[in-house]
Amino acid sequence: MKIQEITLYVNGIQYEFSIGNKFGQIPPGETLSQTLRNRLGLTGSKEACGEGACGCCTVIMEGDAITSCMTLTVDCDGKHILTIEGLADPETGELSPLQQAFIDRYAFQCGFCTPGIIMTSKALLDKNPHSTEEEIKEALSGNFCRCISQYHVVQAVSDVAGKAGA
Amino acid sequence: MYSDDFKPENYRYVGKNAVPRKDAAAIVAGKATFLDDFSLPGMLIGYTLRSPHPHAMIQSIDVDDAKKMNGVMAVLTYRDVDQEWKMGWPPQKPILCRHLRYIGDPVALIAATDLETARAAAEKIQVEYEILPCVTDGMEAIKDGAPQLYEEFPNNVVTPGYPPFQKDGPFWHLIKGDPEKGFEECAYIAEDTVEFAKMPAPLAPEPPGAVVRWEGGDDFTVWGTSQSGYILKIINSSVIPNCNLDVHTFNVGGSYGNKQSLGYQVMSAALLSMRTGKPVKVFQTKVEQMTAFETRLGSQVHAKIGMDKDGVVKAVKAEWVVDTGAFCNATQGQVGVGIGEAQLVMAKCPNWDLDTNIVVTNKQPAGIVRGYGGQELNSCLFLLIGRTMQAGNFDPLECYKKNYVSDGDLYTWRDGRTWQAHSINYVKAMDAAAEKFGWKDKWKGWGVPTWVSEDGRKVRGVGCGIIGNADIGEDNTEAYVRIVPDLVGNKAHAVLQCNVTESGMGQRSNLVKMVADILNMPYEKVEITPADTGINPTGFGLCGSRGTITYGHAVSSAAEDVKKKLFDLAVPYLEVAADAMELRDYGVGCKARPDKFVTWKKLIMQDLTLTGYGQHIENFSTPNFFIVFLEVEVDKETGRVEVKKMVGGTDAGQVIDPLMIEMQCHGGIGSASLDTALYEEHIIDPATKRPLTYNMIEYKWRPFNNFPEYETSILESQFDTFQFKAVGLGEIAGAAAASATMQAISNAIGVSVSTYPATPDVILKALGKV
Ligand code: FES
Ligand code: FES
Repeated sequence: MKIQEITLYVNGIQYEFSIGNKFGQIPPGETLSQTLRNRLGLTGSKEACGEGACGCCTVIMEGDAITSCMTLTVDCDGKHILTIEGLADPETGELSPLQQAFIDRYAFQCGFCTPGIIMTSKALLDKNPHSTEEEIKEALSGNFCRCISQYHVVQAVSDVAGKAGA
Repeated sequence: MYSDDFKPENYRYVGKNAVPRKDAAAIVAGKATFLDDFSLPGMLIGYTLRSPHPHAMIQSIDVDDAKKMNGVMAVLTYRDVDQEWKMGWPPQKPILCRHLRYIGDPVALIAATDLETARAAAEKIQVEYEILPCVTDGMEAIKDGAPQLYEEFPNNVVTPGYPPFQKDGPFWHLIKGDPEKGFEECAYIAEDTVEFAKMPAPLAPEPPGAVVRWEGGDDFTVWGTSQSGYILKIINSSVIPNCNLDVHTFNVGGSYGNKQSLGYQVMSAALLSMRTGKPVKVFQTKVEQMTAFETRLGSQVHAKIGMDKDGVVKAVKAEWVVDTGAFCNATQGQVGVGIGEAQLVMAKCPNWDLDTNIVVTNKQPAGIVRGYGGQELNSCLFLLIGRTMQAGNFDPLECYKKNYVSDGDLYTWRDGRTWQAHSINYVKAMDAAAEKFGWKDKWKGWGVPTWVSEDGRKVRGVGCGIIGNADIGEDNTEAYVRIVPDLVGNKAHAVLQCNVTESGMGQRSNLVKMVADILNMPYEKVEITPADTGINPTGFGLCGSRGTITYGHAVSSAAEDVKKKLFDLAVPYLEVAADAMELRDYGVGCKARPDKFVTWKKLIMQDLTLTGYGQHIENFSTPNFFIVFLEVEVDKETGRVEVKKMVGGTDAGQVIDPLMIEMQCHGGIGSASLDTALYEEHIIDPATKRPLTYNMIEYKWRPFNNFPEYETSILESQFDTFQFKAVGLGEIAGAAAASATMQAISNAIGVSVSTYPATPDVILKALGKV
């Protein structure tokens, strides 16, 4: 089998992997969620359903929110990926406005769904900084939150949408 | 909002959201640790091969090929496991067993270096099954001739009673007064068989799991996704004789009462760790969680309820069949609470005959989910209470006010003892919530819609439901508060030592607030120890909405104890009595003389610390309360029901955390509560008995863009409970939502609907359209 190599850019850091079934290689069936969590130690995004239904594993790839459990790492060659760990300022550690809004509004209970919800919201606001409440709810329709933090989440994301510069 | 007799205290932290939760920054940054984010050197992965049949006997099992695979470290079957090591109460189910009792019952256990290898090994195991007849309905299971699940349970009826809860003997049958005579005095009587038996999924986002490391001998270290490490410890300690479990928990990704004892996860990892000598992680997939982990109990009730001409319930006779699936993990405790909660909503009723049977069936195990038996029974009984109210043409709100428990009423709680309600009265809270909802305008009478669209196709109706729980004072609990002078400078910090796992309620931070308030020191300078049964004093965790009263009491008492010790130590310095002293700026001062002051650092001997101790002793005398009002819209053409508006009301005593209590109310929409009236159910294929709702795509849940308008109505009073005068709330927020929804639907369409969930099919049938 010809050795295939891929490059990922995760939170601004470049990673090169070889694809294959030998020790240390990425098997063709490995999901992006497994690569991020198990190889890169980026355990912020969670894996819960493993079948694209809950949004807990959401990360941003090339500007789009994607479910990393449904994405094969081999298909991500050359892609720029942002995870929840990449949101805070890398130098000062200061949280992003969206993260801060989630704290200010108490927009989580158990917090297991929160990284996925923040990443989906971030992708939305990057594209549409002035999103309306309806647009926020629609964008988050694939994110499961069983503690029912939805009401506070909408407030938190709306706060940031409301403050976005014209 | 305050009730009349409440004078708000101006605490520094309690009652405010002035500071974020201690773990807030970690959660939004993805740094909070959950079990699956944790790993140990040399850790193996455990995986379970499961039964494809609802009822079968293993005829032969060959694991040789699986064992030979590279990376496979152990394969266990029932032959490798002591059949006396039984789980459940009473002990009934070996960790691995030849007799398989539900689809998903463990057949073999594999430990391997990674999950893929373990799965591949499972496929190599050869099993021959003898297929047995099965029973999946609770009422069928108790009939003579029904397939038998356990030798110990004749007619599939589980031995009643749960000793840790019922020290005076088993309690499962409430008999009081003379029901027959009581019915004679009733003006309105309803009798029927009703059920809430679709056993919906609590569906915590994080699946259940555990990492176990056998330390040799009887010792095991456990890291679990349990909302209560201590409950995990006491329930599992009797499975492997003499085993000593040191239980740690991380942040838990939702539980809703469901992830507590984790018997199979812990015991399977323990077996594999003993066999391999390595730590083993067992973390279930979502499909395993939804098909083989505990779901909500099934409930079938034949009941007769009688009400007098004034709308007061005077007699109840009921037989409650509780379907606990293929495994009974102390379901007896839930039955006790269910009986208790029924009395709280019919607290003026002197005549009772409420009998119960817990039955086992060939379905996935059913166990604890928020609502704990009370919700399951309430969802049934309220269909009948509704019929008596309708017969008397009573406004339900007015009836609830007459029947709900208040100061002085007697009831039998889950311990089988009689308790008297103390210090509570919720009539004002009912009125306040009703006003917020606009009940007076919207209530048009039984079977009458509040609104009809012009073309008559869409109709709206309103309903309301109540529930309460006295478990909020349950279980003894203790805490230490230790003052530790800073090594540098003249300040100090405090360490709160108590066993509380964070599974979403923010309670760890709220307990810290209480300490900071009592010691009058900054929240940031108070730490709380990690949840760990080894280093912490006893604490049952945040089950039964008990966190506020029980931990609040123990923790506040510990803080007051250390405060008293500081005052005693300060006497020689300040030369005044303790009642003339106050705590300020990490020291003790004289109230009247600002200049008289001594630091804690000076009072506490060099390099030592000062510890206070506090405890809470179990007490069931202050039930909490929740009322939910809601309005639904029904499309009579499609049968679709939509909840348009909800108001959740309570009196919480002193509110500890305004935003979290609001979210606890919202939580009543999730975890198999409100939507059990609309679409949440486990559907089982009648032919194969396979669960068709086995994953999050097939199982219906409420998406983000489909939430009703929700308002809370939270009164504040001063209940005589503990230092901060509060009661706990969480668990009951959704427990009456399903029955209220049925009432609202029935009023909207003018036909009584009593089948959970009221799917379009049910509605169209009720309307005579299919
Ligand atoms: S874990 Fe990826 S969508 Fe659920
Ligand atoms: S906060 Fe727990 S699932 Fe969303």
